[in-house]
Amino acid sequence: MQKYFVGVDIGSLTVKVVLLNEDLETLGMVMNRAGFSGRDVATRLTEQLLADSGLTTQDVSATVATGYGRVTFPSDREVSEITCQAKGIIHLFPSARTVIDIGGQDSKVIKLSQNGKVADFAMNDKCAAGTGRFLEVMATALEVEWQEIGELVSTSENPTKISSFCTVFAESEIISQVSAGALKADILAGVCESVASRVASMTRRTGLEPDIVFTGGVAHNQGVVNALAKQLGFPLLVSREPVITAALGAALLAREILKA
Amino acid sequence: MAKRNYRPLVSVKALQKTMGRYYAITNYHRYWGKPLRRPLAWVTSGAPVELLRAFKIHSAYPEQYAAIYSARKTTVALCEIAEAAGYSQDLCSYARSNIGGVLRPDLAPLGGMPKPDLLVACNNICGTVLKWYEVLARHFNVPLLVLDTPFLTAELTPQAKDYVLEQLYAMSADLEKITGRSLDEKNLVKQMRRSAEITSLWKETRQYCQASPSPLNAPDFFIHMAPIVVLRGSQEGIDYYRKLKAEVKERVELGQGAVENERIRLVWDNIAIWPQLFTFYKMFADKGACFVSDTYSGGWAIEQAPGTPMESLAATYTEVFLNRSPEFRANQLINLIREYKADGFVMHSNRSCKPYSLVQEVIRRKVMSETGVPGLMIEADMADSRAYAEEPVRNRVQAFLETFE
Amino acid sequence: MSEINEQANSNESLELLLEEATLNGEARLQRYPKKKFFGYFCSYFPEELILAAGLEPLRLLPDGGNSTPAELPAYCCSLARGTLDMEIRGKWQDLAGIGFTHTCDTMQCLSGIWAASGHSKTVDIVPPVMLNTSGASRYYLAEMHTLMKTLMALTQQDIKKEALRNALKLCGYTRKLATELDALRPNLPSPLASALLRAGQVMPRSDYAQALEKCLPTLKEMAAPPYRRVKVLVSGAVVENDSLFAMIEDLGGRVVADDTCTGYRHYSGLTLIGAENPLSDIVQRYSEMPPCPCKNRSLNERLSYLTDLAQQRQAECLIIVIRKYCDPHAWDAVALSKSFRNNGIHTLTLEIEGADVGGQERTRLQAFLESMIEDSGL
Repeated sequence: MQKYFVGVDIGSLTVKVVLLNEDLETLGMVMNRAGFSGRDVATRLTEQLLADSGLTTQDVSATVATGYGRVTFPSDREVSEITCQAKGIIHLFPSARTVIDIGGQDSKVIKLSQNGKVADFAMNDKCAAGTGRFLEVMATALEVEWQEIGELVSTSENPTKISSFCTVFAESEIISQVSAGALKADILAGVCESVASRVASMTRRTGLEPDIVFTGGVAHNQGVVNALAKQLGFPLLVSREPVITAALGAALLAREILKA
Repeated sequence: MAKRNYRPLVSVKALQKTMGRYYAITNYHRYWGKPLRRPLAWVTSGAPVELLRAFKIHSAYPEQYAAIYSARKTTVALCEIAEAAGYSQDLCSYARSNIGGVLRPDLAPLGGMPKPDLLVACNNICGTVLKWYEVLARHFNVPLLVLDTPFLTAELTPQAKDYVLEQLYAMSADLEKITGRSLDEKNLVKQMRRSAEITSLWKETRQYCQASPSPLNAPDFFIHMAPIVVLRGSQEGIDYYRKLKAEVKERVELGQGAVENERIRLVWDNIAIWPQLFTFYKMFADKGACFVSDTYSGGWAIEQAPGTPMESLAATYTEVFLNRSPEFRANQLINLIREYKADGFVMHSNRSCKPYSLVQEVIRRKVMSETGVPGLMIEADMADSRAYAEEPVRNRVQAFLETFE
Repeated sequence: MSEINEQANSNESLELLLEEATLNGEARLQRYPKKKFFGYFCSYFPEELILAAGLEPLRLLPDGGNSTPAELPAYCCSLARGTLDMEIRGKWQDLAGIGFTHTCDTMQCLSGIWAASGHSKTVDIVPPVMLNTSGASRYYLAEMHTLMKTLMALTQQDIKKEALRNALKLCGYTRKLATELDALRPNLPSPLASALLRAGQVMPRSDYAQALEKCLPTLKEMAAPPYRRVKVLVSGAVVENDSLFAMIEDLGGRVVADDTCTGYRHYSGLTLIGAENPLSDIVQRYSEMPPCPCKNRSLNERLSYLTDLAQQRQAECLIIVIRKYCDPHAWDAVALSKSFRNNGIHTLTLEIEGADVGGQERTRLQAFLESMIEDSGL
């Protein structure tokens, strides 16, 4: 009798759900905007995901919720996104010792011990700098689409420097750079460097040990991947679906609840 | 045509030579310190250095080096090192950059500071120095001597003076143990006399700025105050200020102003914004605004208190302006505005320095109400350029200067 | 019959204390109309002198929200900004005066700002920073004398030796009871202990002592060993509500010891009564109590104290809670967490705006405690 497990990651901007079976096969994964009620979206997405596999909520043996909205979501257990992220990453990359997660509104660095458990972590969820939001604000100011960033940045030969530690001030800084005639590609490269730099500082607090896995929505952005790899001086492993790794971790933990 | 409206001083060359010599001697301390039995102390800017000099101790000033780190644009990198080690970004940027330089001397200008044999801190300037120097004491594993100068809510109390005096005697005993020398009273008297002279010279030099046009502007105060901080008690320091004073006197006689077409006279409050030392004041100079005095470099232009050398040290170092009430400091600013016939004042709300900055708003109100002149508040940091936002600052300065039209 | 009465009294007392802890002194005019309160900041302000002057010490705590009074820049702690804002809103009008102790730079500045822009009468004491240095005790004693004279002028009443000795007795007794409570806390819910300790700083002292004495038996009965809970030592400054402690408890932790200004540290240290001059006894207690980061008794005394405390209570981890812009605690946090880590005790440094904890703190606390649970194989 096959058993099914659900991992739900309710972030403030997006909701991610992963459906896993006992044999560790991912049967489905989905991401959507959280909108007004992340909880409702999560419920809907879960049902949808199950339906796509011909299942209902009755078939689910255990659910673990993580992310900002985990506390109010009906689940068997709610676990911090740090623990879930660690779990998901170590599953995908057994050699991982450091996880860098840059999401829409926060960024974190997680140090893993030999057995894949969380040894230490550093978080930035109080400031937009060093998160996807920073990229978004700057991209909007430069009238560039999020998806274009990576390609544009790859053409840059002379990244500009952004010195402010505040997103609002940085925005006015890049506008000055535009007026001064700097190229969009160069400014964007500077923006990526800035994000990478903020995150790199966090890694110095926890220590950096390879293998290093880069996850979270911003890991889709090649400009930041390259800037970060360069600044850290280490190659980065990036999963094919960086957005759902915490939800995957939650599903894996759901599977473990039953085993316990 | 680029109009230059800032007149540099000829004495700058002499300054560079004097300071250059000091840095060279300090940086090579490891070669001559032991043979000459002259330990190196890291010292806070408000510490009673005359006592240390009497024991032939050579002093290096982390705050001074931090200002240089800023001028050389290395503060941010050094702060990041300290922050990576766990020091909050909200802590004093002098301390963070100093600690960064200690952990990574390869990233610091001049190769960082030479290792101290002892640490001497006086908390008359702030409570942060105690915590900062505790960190250094643990790191270097060297003696930490602290002179605790109680905050003065009004006048110096007899108990505070006795307390500081007693500590000075105890410090003296500690220094005897550390140096293997006994306190040379004559030498102490000599050091105090030299300090008094250098302070006098600096005071008189600054006083020339009461003239119109002012022979000096803010960058001058901040650059030329270096010897009074690090060479207080030395003959080189005295020689330097004699030279500077002469040049400044001559400027006044020739009617030469530091700023061309001086039309607005201002007083500056707080530490300089070191990373933007010239660009910031240029915004003012461009509109004919000159800073004719300031409260920061003026802090070293005070009279020595009367009494025996130790009594004088006790009182002088406890009564420094940063250890006084907002009322005292407001009066200090009011006096400067009146004596120097200023049209306004600018206060640097310096994130790194709480004792200097937290009370600025109440001081600003009092000063504006008593003098009738306008006061501008600028938010920045003395050393960390990440806290300097050019556009907002420019806007405020522009608006302020426009009120004088 | 009397046993039932006792139990009822005990429960009533417990309820009273918990109410007071929630109010933080807000309803003092209604609840204690006959008492005159004197506000103070900091556990180094000598409560004995306030009591001897016939006043009730009231620790000033901010009432929540992110206040930004114009008289202070944004880069100072919410304790200063919040309480100053309350002063401007007239919340402290009934107080006989407000006592400032010069500890951190912010408090030092706040005193002057308050005097310049507030309405209340401010009173200062400037204790020594270097508590073990030459002349420190003598100086502290002189400051106590000055403070005593100021309070006498304020109340227009003499303060006699007997009043001082009675105040010492009351404070000593309160501290003894608080110590008993603190000894129980590994077996009591975290927010309960923190609330009961805070209550003693925001209500009339003798009422507190009486109530605490009455409810200690109930607390002893309630006490149950913290099975499967992660034992936590919390270190910090002022924590004006129990939100953090409740969250720690909620997430499977148990605060077995606290080194916070509004927690046990306020009551710590030995109260001796015996000197010819009672002020000397007072100086001794304040000089020798476990120091906060603003004071120095020796380079590593605070480190040693906390290490010993962790050991005594078998704390498995340390949470350093730092209010944003609190410099002294931010400084100590580095050496503290390094030292504890070297001793195998995990440390989390948690920076909060005020005392309220929300989603961001929950993520960190939860991740931290989860890693502890996994560690201990629970």
